[in-house]
Amino acid sequence: MAHNWGMVIDLDRCTGCEACVVACHAENNISTVGQEQAARSRAKHWIRVERYYEGEFPDVKVKFQPVLCQQCDAAPCEPVCPTFASYHTSEGLNGQIYNRCIGTRYCANACPYNVRFFNFYNPVWDKPLNLQLNPDVSVRSVGVMEKCTFCVQRIKAGEIQAAAEKRELKDGEIKPACVQSCPTNAMVWGDLNDPESEASRLANSSRATKLLAEVGTRPKVTYLPRDSWHGTENA
Amino acid sequence: MERRDFLKISAVAGATAALEGCGNPDHQLIRFIPEEDLIPGIATWKPSVCTLCPAGCGLLVRVMQGEAEVVRDGRLGLLKMGLAKKLEGNPAHPINQGKLCPRGQAGLQVTYHPDRLKGPLARVGPRGSGQFREVSWDDAIKQLTSQLADLQASNQEGGLALITSPLRGQKRAIFEVFANHFKKSLFVESAFLGDSVIRAANAASFGHALPPTVDLGQSNYVLSFGADFVGTWNSPVAQSIGFGEMRKGRPGQRAKFVQFEQRISHTGASADEWVPVQPGMEGMLALGLAHVIMTEKLRPAAAAGHAGSLIEGWSQGLPDYAPERIATQTGLQAETIARIAREAAAHEPAVAIIGDAATAHTNGYFSALAVNALSALLGSVGKPGGILFSSAPAAKESGVSVEILASQINSGAAAAKVLLLYNANPVFSAPAAWGVRAALDKIPFIASFGSFLDETSALADLILPDHSPLESWHDDAPPSGSARTVMSVAPPAMHPLHNTRSTPDVLLDVAHQVGGALGKALPWKAYDEAIQASFAALYKEKGTKTAKDADEFWTKAQEQGGWWSAEPNPAPVSTGGAPSAAAKATAPQFDGDANEYPFHFLPFASQLFYDGSLAHLPWMQEAPDPLSTVMWGAWVEINPKTARKLSVQQGDLVEVASPHGKLKAPALINPGIAPDALAMPVGQGHENFTRYATGCGANPISILSPLTVEGANSFAWAATRVKLSVVGRGKLILFGGSLTEASPELEHR
Repeated sequence: MAHNWGMVIDLDRCTGCEACVVACHAENNISTVGQEQAARSRAKHWIRVERYYEGEFPDVKVKFQPVLCQQCDAAPCEPVCPTFASYHTSEGLNGQIYNRCIGTRYCANACPYNVRFFNFYNPVWDKPLNLQLNPDVSVRSVGVMEKCTFCVQRIKAGEIQAAAEKRELKDGEIKPACVQSCPTNAMVWGDLNDPESEASRLANSSRATKLLAEVGTRPKVTYLPRDSWHGTENA
Repeated sequence: MERRDFLKISAVAGATAALEGCGNPDHQLIRFIPEEDLIPGIATWKPSVCTLCPAGCGLLVRVMQGEAEVVRDGRLGLLKMGLAKKLEGNPAHPINQGKLCPRGQAGLQVTYHPDRLKGPLARVGPRGSGQFREVSWDDAIKQLTSQLADLQASNQEGGLALITSPLRGQKRAIFEVFANHFKKSLFVESAFLGDSVIRAANAASFGHALPPTVDLGQSNYVLSFGADFVGTWNSPVAQSIGFGEMRKGRPGQRAKFVQFEQRISHTGASADEWVPVQPGMEGMLALGLAHVIMTEKLRPAAAAGHAGSLIEGWSQGLPDYAPERIATQTGLQAETIARIAREAAAHEPAVAIIGDAATAHTNGYFSALAVNALSALLGSVGKPGGILFSSAPAAKESGVSVEILASQINSGAAAAKVLLLYNANPVFSAPAAWGVRAALDKIPFIASFGSFLDETSALADLILPDHSPLESWHDDAPPSGSARTVMSVAPPAMHPLHNTRSTPDVLLDVAHQVGGALGKALPWKAYDEAIQASFAALYKEKGTKTAKDADEFWTKAQEQGGWWSAEPNPAPVSTGGAPSAAAKATAPQFDGDANEYPFHFLPFASQLFYDGSLAHLPWMQEAPDPLSTVMWGAWVEINPKTARKLSVQQGDLVEVASPHGKLKAPALINPGIAPDALAMPVGQGHENFTRYATGCGANPISILSPLTVEGANSFAWAATRVKLSVVGRGKLILFGGSLTEASPELEHR
């Protein structure tokens, strides 16, 4: 059976530390846009940490939620693309073919999660910052949309390695950059078609919720909400 | 002619001939012969050590072949070389277990920073003008050698000053030999976010002058007094791993985590119960909790042992700290204090920790002693789920701070002739009132080894830039973060890009050229020899079971990224000990009249810039701050009700003034800050720190009052009062995704 990649994020573990955000920049050659462009909302973060305040001082609560492309099974970004740059891969990813993209930005308008980013300029790395670029990931040029790929280059590398060794992929063998870095182990990634995988187990747990499930996108990222202390029963 | 030289020349001729007339100068560069054999497209993983904060996490560096523009022998050309492409945590390393924080992830940009110093420089313009000329390494070393030789000949006391970042291992040993050789030298390990208060308190309470290793993963109740333990405090990655375990690592068992502080920190944001406390009252609150536990006979007073005996009135059950009596001062309701105390006592193991602003009030040392006593009373010190102390050697301290150094030089009590400056920026991270800049101006010769020009190194007469951390040897003994004994070691992960030299190697070279006792005290030719010697000693002591000889032990350690004990090996905690003079609660002092300066001013460590030393990395500038989502700037946090009262809108440019200075920054409305406090991240506001940080935001340290923590040699950076006024519209860049496009005319969002 084909793989069906998905992610689970446990918000009871997440501390909003931003390690995933920076790891993603480093892995995926996401260019920084600078102060002026950032002020125009043109900064690109394939994964971001959303922060919600609840209540008033002194009874304040804060919640963090990392948001990345939800790799929807019914993805609104895919049918709107006039050039088939946004498409659904056989392994359930919302793919983005950069050299088909003509920059209509319809996909970004259609996405309810706000996780697609447009390149308003050609990316610039002040030399020698260009040496940090990951040779496994293409650099996106002006006029092209970009988004989280679940680190497809790592998926492909893992699949090729397993095939070369004539074996099945092991659960946990492939980790997207954000998952690998996450200091609290809040993120788990794996094959949702494998009922034994850690990701499947958590995605099917009683705590599982989806972001904006009501709009019918069938996202493959599952959130386990922030828990609370259950008091003395643990004593 | 050597074959290599012939090939180099023919490569030049070939390239020029083939590409004549081509407009792109990149294509005309000569190609150097690679110095290493690499397979294109195949990654190798090399261990290294993260040096961006004192936690000492282990790294794995992904190295791949790439083509770098480099200068070799004065000629610009292209070199195929192994380049670091990504940093990951080293899964085998006991501190960070394969994980990394956002700052560690950005370490790559230190190596590839466009404004890194590319070779030795000598000052030509007036001091501070930033005008330097390139010099050769031979000249640079000759200059430094002659300065130190003159100093040695003059035999003058206090002639040498050293200001470094906190150092460990053999690197520290080499600097220390210099400090000891020159009589009465001033050796300062400078850190804005230093842990000297906690180390002093732990030495008094538990007999270990070390930061604690907190076993959060097995804890059932966590009381944190201001410690930003998943962000910047102590060993944040190790503590974050423990935090995840404590929350969801044990099926059916979830600890409660209570945070006490005046402004909700990045760590406080994840608390199950966040409790605001009046600034400087953390110690009193800890004793209030202890009072309830003792009065209700949940634990006997004697359970706290020596740590308890340090607090006045402990054996009588702390009668002065009944919740009703301290409610007003701490700002908590008496019922809340009693409830939390009962909960903590009922959920073993429970642990209490203190850090950051709570230890940076003038009574921070007392607060730390009080929290230590509470922790001991709760019974988890030295036990799983509590506080442990590693078997790492206690950090040696010279006892000299930047403040002392500056005041001695400014008053004429010390007359330093030569200053060695290494990875420290005291001009940025000390309050203006200490007069650091004036003191440095009095030192005739300053040599800096840092990789960047910053506010302090710009004053240097001679700059001898170090390799970047990825290009360097490392040895490290992290004092906290794991119950196992850890000795990290790593060879360079890549060849140097620029004409830099390893600072420990330069110091060894200089010591040998100066000669005499200094040269004899440093028998090694190079830093790696010094590390190997320390590992040979470690082999004799600990490694005979794991390797057949010292060479194998050394090779294995380099491959793995260090040596660590197989089992947890915490140091025993001294619970006995003679009761010393009992500490009495003191009220915190704040500088500034409360009527004129109505707000407490709380600088806080930035999750992305740490103490400001990482503001030069574009990934850190453009990553949104976790709580505010601000990018590329600094801000002043203000309570919504206070803002309404003063007609302050989000994004207004406000002026914050203390008795010692003023600054301007945009206002940010934060529901998680007390109405009588203003808070600001530390790290921005550099006047001179590369193209990405210079002129970005404002520096809260610049307006702090020069107060000291009583009983500890440390800066009380949370003890300043300020006033606020609106002066115009500011610029606040918040990250909200890319859906709504802002027009360039908008001044703020």
